[in-house]
Amino acid sequence: MSFVIGLLIGLAVGVVSYLLFVATSQEIPNISTPETTSDIETREAEKFGALLQIQDAIHSLSVGVVIVDAKGVVTFRNKLAESVTGVVHSDVLVEEVVEQHLSAALNGETKRQVLDLFGPPRKVFSVSATPLLFGGAVAMIEDITERYLVDAVRTDFVANISHELKTPVGALAVLAEALSQEDDLDIIHRLSEKMVDEAIRVGRTIDDLLELSRIEFGGEAVKDEVDAEAIISESISRVSPLASTHAIKVAMVDFPGALKVVGDRRQLVSAIGNLVENAVKYSDVGSAVEVTARGDGDWVEFTVKDFGLGIPSRDLDRVFERFYRVDRARSRDTGGTGLGLAIVRHVANNHGGEVSVTSIEGEGSTFALKIPKSIVQNQSVMKESA
Amino acid sequence: MNRLAHDELMELRSELLRVTASLVESIPRATQILLDQDLEGAEYQILADDEMDSRTLDLEDRCVTLMALHAPVASELRHAVTIMKMSADIERSADLVVNICKVARRIHGIQLDPKMRGLIGRMGTQAQILFRHAIQAYADLDLPMAKAVDDMDLFLDYLHRQFIESIFESHSAGTIDLPVAIQMAVTARFFERIGDHAVNVAHYVQYLITGEIPPAGDHRRGGRLSDSTGEIEGLPA
Repeated sequence: MSFVIGLLIGLAVGVVSYLLFVATSQEIPNISTPETTSDIETREAEKFGALLQIQDAIHSLSVGVVIVDAKGVVTFRNKLAESVTGVVHSDVLVEEVVEQHLSAALNGETKRQVLDLFGPPRKVFSVSATPLLFGGAVAMIEDITERYLVDAVRTDFVANISHELKTPVGALAVLAEALSQEDDLDIIHRLSEKMVDEAIRVGRTIDDLLELSRIEFGGEAVKDEVDAEAIISESISRVSPLASTHAIKVAMVDFPGALKVVGDRRQLVSAIGNLVENAVKYSDVGSAVEVTARGDGDWVEFTVKDFGLGIPSRDLDRVFERFYRVDRARSRDTGGTGLGLAIVRHVANNHGGEVSVTSIEGEGSTFALKIPKSIVQNQSVMKESA
Repeated sequence: MNRLAHDELMELRSELLRVTASLVESIPRATQILLDQDLEGAEYQILADDEMDSRTLDLEDRCVTLMALHAPVASELRHAVTIMKMSADIERSADLVVNICKVARRIHGIQLDPKMRGLIGRMGTQAQILFRHAIQAYADLDLPMAKAVDDMDLFLDYLHRQFIESIFESHSAGTIDLPVAIQMAVTARFFERIGDHAVNVAHYVQYLITGEIPPAGDHRRGGRLSDSTGEIEGLPA
């Protein structure tokens, strides 16, 4: 307590002495004006207060600000600028670019640069500097990592959806054209079979898109009490034909028994089913997929573990995006629509839960879906909705 | 040593930290270039090495000048010597980063299997972690951290060994050709060497703090996994 009082007294003394200093230093030119000392003091105090306010405002900006005087000496650095510049690692690289831009600005140039740092963590900064009217210069550092990533998601989404829909439709057009000029029955037979395949593919993509938007905007997620074991076994049995053709053993392991979650049974089965299906698709022939669930406080965590290809670490954050493919070349072989994991993420969101993934390329992946044991109000925490 | 010389030493320190930051940044970048076989990125990184070379050379030059003109003693002399020695290691590591980018060009168009890709990623990460720690130890004059780098290098050596094994596996399974296998083997060595340079840097940090150079050889895993050249025992030469 006494410390706080001491602090306040110290602050008061400091402010008063500063005000006196400012007041006295400017008294001489004002000597002819008929102002009293107290007038000047109030005016200066107001000025000082305004200055403090501006300083405070600059500190709370979400842009880093560095100001230098005409000689290039740093006179001010706001809090954000303090936190992204420094003496080691990536911080010093930011500092270096800021310095370069400031000295260019002192020579009257205004420059802007996007600085892409691998980190980790990966950061993208936009650095710019402009000369100030009364000498000196100001640099601005903007953290545009988020915007950068969202932009990537958006452009990829548009590119991917056109790829996923246009490829089968284009194939259909070409096949139909070939068919119309064909007399050979054998060839007609083969072409029409291919057309059926392509039609099924595009139909499946549209089905998945519809399911995704139903989960996304449906809002009528039923809140029943569902048995976790039933969800898992239903999901596994759904995938078993695919698994048996690849000779992959899908099994429920270490299940603790008697676990219940609250949620929409159909959605949960679809989510776990999608995870298991992915695990099977990206496993080598003859390997295993392990599915389990365990209670953890207020949560039930479902995990699906495979020992397959794994996911490159830089793709890990992005696999839940619609139509995102780690390897485009492979995607058509597996027959997926590219929407499975997006569906899983939306199911997780709808239930107030979350889905996460850990993976090592070449060693396998583990997907974890966390669902609360009781009803959580839908916080509509849908991140980017590209 | 006078004030001027002291300021110069501090400037040398700050320049060294900057050059190293560029290097630390380029390690994951090169790893990604290799995994993506990003030709444009490789070209950029290869060209950027000229700057690294001239900056490290300049550092060495300035250290010599400082020692000749101001005759620093004790810790300041050690500091100047340390900066000189470290910049040589940093220059070499930057060259290794360039070598990795060159491999990206050579293996262009070749699909690596996921296990190898995973190991390349992990070696890149570990090499970067080693350098980050070594230079953090220098910035903070943190002796325990400098000593920890030795142990951290063990893991990189372990990854190196695993990687070599996976090359043998892939090659005998017929998934990669001999030329690619050789390129991969040297790549593994590049990462491993970067780690060794980080260990050297950490040793100079220890020397800077204590005045004693850690004995060569016996710190190195006591001959358990590899000898001082980083050669791995138990593998066909």
